Amino acid sequence: MKIYPRQRHRVLQVIAKLLVPFVLMFALYVQFHGDFGPGGGFQAGVIFAAAIILHGLIFGLQRTRRVVTPGAVRVLVSGGVLIYAGTGVLCMLMGGNLLDYDVLAHDPLHGQHWGIFFVELGVGVTVTGVMISLFYCFASRRTDDARR
Amino acid sequence: MVEPIINLICLPLLAVACLFIVGGAVGLLRLPDFYTRLHATSVTDTGGAIFVSIALFMQAVFVYGDVMITIKVVLILFFTLFTAPTASHALAKTALLSGHVPLGADGKPLLATRGEAARLARSRPVSDDDPQLGVDGAMQDSDGGEQR
Amino acid sequence: MDHFIIICLLSFLVAIAIGIVVLRDLLAGVLLSGLYSFVAAAAFVVMDAVDVAFTEAAVGAGISTILFLGALTFTRHDQKRRGHDSLPALVFVVVTGGLLIYGTLDMPYYGSATSPAQTHPELAVRFIEQSAGEVGPPNIVTSVLASYRGYDTLGEVVVVFAAGIAVLSLLGLRRRTPVAEAPDDAPGDVPGDANGNANGDSPERPTDNGSGTRT
Repeated sequence: MKIYPRQRHRVLQVIAKLLVPFVLMFALYVQFHGDFGPGGGFQAGVIFAAAIILHGLIFGLQRTRRVVTPGAVRVLVSGGVLIYAGTGVLCMLMGGNLLDYDVLAHDPLHGQHWGIFFVELGVGVTVTGVMISLFYCFASRRTDDARR
Repeated sequence: MVEPIINLICLPLLAVACLFIVGGAVGLLRLPDFYTRLHATSVTDTGGAIFVSIALFMQAVFVYGDVMITIKVVLILFFTLFTAPTASHALAKTALLSGHVPLGADGKPLLATRGEAARLARSRPVSDDDPQLGVDGAMQDSDGGEQR
Repeated sequence: MDHFIIICLLSFLVAIAIGIVVLRDLLAGVLLSGLYSFVAAAAFVVMDAVDVAFTEAAVGAGISTILFLGALTFTRHDQKRRGHDSLPALVFVVVTGGLLIYGTLDMPYYGSATSPAQTHPELAVRFIEQSAGEVGPPNIVTSVLASYRGYDTLGEVVVVFAAGIAVLSLLGLRRRTPVAEAPDDAPGDVPGDANGNANGDSPERPTDNGSGTRT
């Protein structure tokens, strides 16, 4: 039988490993259900970042930075704004004004649906990236100070 | 027809939940030691949450007949039962690790020094046949020669 | 009954705010500000603004508390004692607050159905009546946020982006150890040898090296 060495914070590690997937799934649910209930991009981004921050608090910053690298976080931060503004420019390229979602699909209602989808996605991605990068900035400063 | 009966069932459940929550609040204010206060708040979290969730579950199933609300209430209870005891455990373990000494029933500290409390939090549980039963569990013994 | 609940929650808010100002312990202040956001979210739910309550709870009671606690590790845990109380400052604050309260006497009553926010024909009435036909989603808040007022949301996203960039450029993401050398142990773990067994922690027999696999 495999014997696991006793870690100091084993209970917290087990619970965090159990909960992080559910929090991430809930973040996706909130993101895509903004049309039907409370939700949308801002809340979903914050909840997604909260899952990563929970992982960082329990398992240590090094491991979390291996999972979500700082480069990926930078891509997230700027990618969200690009998605949002890109949707607006795409509307202009397809004949309407900036952020005029009516022209995105064959039908104004479907166009609005797709426009809102991409816009909320952009918002969610940027908020996720910013929250995670804020946490990394504060926490990595702390470990550097502690190492000195 | 079914609504007054269900209300009659849910009212005592909610009253019991209020009893738990108020009891937890009174305990938080009146109990002498940190660990006993922590126990009082965890009673609020688990006992109050369970009874409120059962009452809401009955209302959702019989009065509103909505499956989604029922599933969401059950999921909320499930996750609360995961996270609330973990939070109490994290608080208690951190307090013991940083040297907060628990008080006994007569008001006197149970351990002599803060260092003993910290070592108690760090030590591993000793086995039954280990003659050295003390708080210096992990740091000094090396069970290299003990054959079991 | 709604009014009673709202008055209770708002008085909690006042008590918590007084507590935050009076307390000198910064850790307690941070936790009280998280509690403030939570009670404010409850007040928003009672006022039927569920989206706002969701965002307030997630951001204020969740992320903001964590970031404040992270910032608190850099400094001491209690506030510096203030020097002296200044009378002109007190007079100025009281006069300004009094003017603001006098200004709110002109505002419509709480929950009034005849306020301009509810009856404006081009804004509120149009959004409520024509959002289903023009935009589509059942949630009017999302349709206003993302479609009718899409520019404002673009501005909000750019503000969040700018805040992130500002913090990144001020604090920076230090990279002392390269990411590839990150340890496998979590903080607080007992350091182990190559087999993954922890030193000084041997529930298995010392001769049994084969079963101690890496966790």
